[in-house]
Amino acid sequence: MTTKRCVLVGGGVAAASAAAHLRKRGFDGDVVLVGEETAAPYERPPLSKEFLTGPPELVRPLTPDWYAANGVELRLGVRAVALDVAGRSVGLSTGERLGYDDLVLATGVRPRRLSGFDGEGVHYLRTAADAGRLRAELATARRIAILGAGFIGCEVAASATALGTQVTLFEPEPAPLARVLGAAIGAVLMDIHRERGVEIRPGEHVTALDRGRHGFVLTTSRGDRVEADLVVVGIGSVPNVELGQDAGLAVANGGLAVDEYGRTSAPHVYAAGDVAAQHHPRYGTRIRVEHHDTAVRQGANVAANLAGEVTPFEEAHWFWSDQYEHSLQSTGRMGAFDSVVLRGRLADRSFSAFSLVDGRIQGVISLNRPGDVLAARRMLFAPHEVTAEQLADESLPLKRLMPRTKTASRA
Amino acid sequence: MTGQWQEAMQLDELWEGEMAGVEVGGEKVLLMNIDGDVRAYRNRCPHQAWALDEGDFDGETLTCSRHLWVFDARSGSGVNPDNCRLTSFPCRVDEDGTIRVDVG
Repeated sequence: MTTKRCVLVGGGVAAASAAAHLRKRGFDGDVVLVGEETAAPYERPPLSKEFLTGPPELVRPLTPDWYAANGVELRLGVRAVALDVAGRSVGLSTGERLGYDDLVLATGVRPRRLSGFDGEGVHYLRTAADAGRLRAELATARRIAILGAGFIGCEVAASATALGTQVTLFEPEPAPLARVLGAAIGAVLMDIHRERGVEIRPGEHVTALDRGRHGFVLTTSRGDRVEADLVVVGIGSVPNVELGQDAGLAVANGGLAVDEYGRTSAPHVYAAGDVAAQHHPRYGTRIRVEHHDTAVRQGANVAANLAGEVTPFEEAHWFWSDQYEHSLQSTGRMGAFDSVVLRGRLADRSFSAFSLVDGRIQGVISLNRPGDVLAARRMLFAPHEVTAEQLADESLPLKRLMPRTKTASRA
Repeated sequence: MTGQWQEAMQLDELWEGEMAGVEVGGEKVLLMNIDGDVRAYRNRCPHQAWALDEGDFDGETLTCSRHLWVFDARSGSGVNPDNCRLTSFPCRVDEDGTIRVDVG
């Protein structure tokens, strides 16, 4: 009997989670993790938050000695450059060719770059190395300009402000994170940043970047000129599909198309994490999610399927964003933002906005009410029926609206 | 200094299936009542040290509200992820219903 080899391409939490769960599920073949970064897998969310403001420590899903102890070979600082699905092998930047029985592509995303915005003092944030450079320069910067008020832009703005740096934040949309949160909650976030001294410029973008004697001069779409010591660009990301796409794998929603079991269009090739555009049985459609929690759960799910289970991925999506002392969380999918049911008040900065359709919660966005998100996450795919009045009534615990699964499971 | 049983709470204030964050001897402690058994843990998630008393306790598992890490309330061991564990403190309930914790 020959030993099976599972190759994981990608050095993020999806690959780490897959490695951990392969072993947990009793997979006793070879596991090789190929990661382009030199650091063993770590969590990316802290890079725009605690890593910048506190000690620059990486939060790791698995301790560095776990890999050796569990027979998982780490090939770090190595890039997978070619995929041969017929010959079941991956070509590496070292010139080697690595054969596999099963392959997991967890290649993630890379920052979308803005043409002409690069070089020293211009930062994109994805990796620990990126965050290390930004952290070092933030220490002496007096003024920074951030292009894009998405998650990265908003969180770096909050972190830089905490460090005493003056921030100018440009966002072409009318409010930060407007596409994710809607205009009303985006406006709450905008007020929070402005109160902390961030100069937010909604509806405005930067058209040119010039290097002056002491830093940068940015020209804006309104013709203003703004000075900054350093520039952070956070305008979204590009999925790293090339390895799979060049090998003929089907692409959808910008990512590698996978079914509910994580399988790509090529036999024995799976995909998980930010790069995977997965068919979600609960929604009956393909969704690509760029959030930490989904990457971890998809990695675990793919591992379970590789280890012989047949389990569709049908978990609820969930994300958080910490800015200043505020905790923003969301789960499920929001519908139209103008018909949300509010629990709590926007003005109090403690609220949850529910998307409610035909008596069922579809999704929720919450500021400083993480318990609501936990409760809603449990309800999303469970049978339930609630009214807008019940959701809005803060005296009625959300738990009370939940189907009583615990009692049933004990019966 | 160990072996100091300090008063943390009265049992009749902590119903079955409930948890509470208290301070004992300068230490933030999470008390949990699991079907009548009381457990005491450091009130910090091993992930990023957020307080756990804002999380969700369904009577058996505790979910940290910040990043959804899940723990077995009775043993303190991680459920998801399973390679972690809550820091536990010795805990007892006196005959008069006083919950006492030894934070060391």
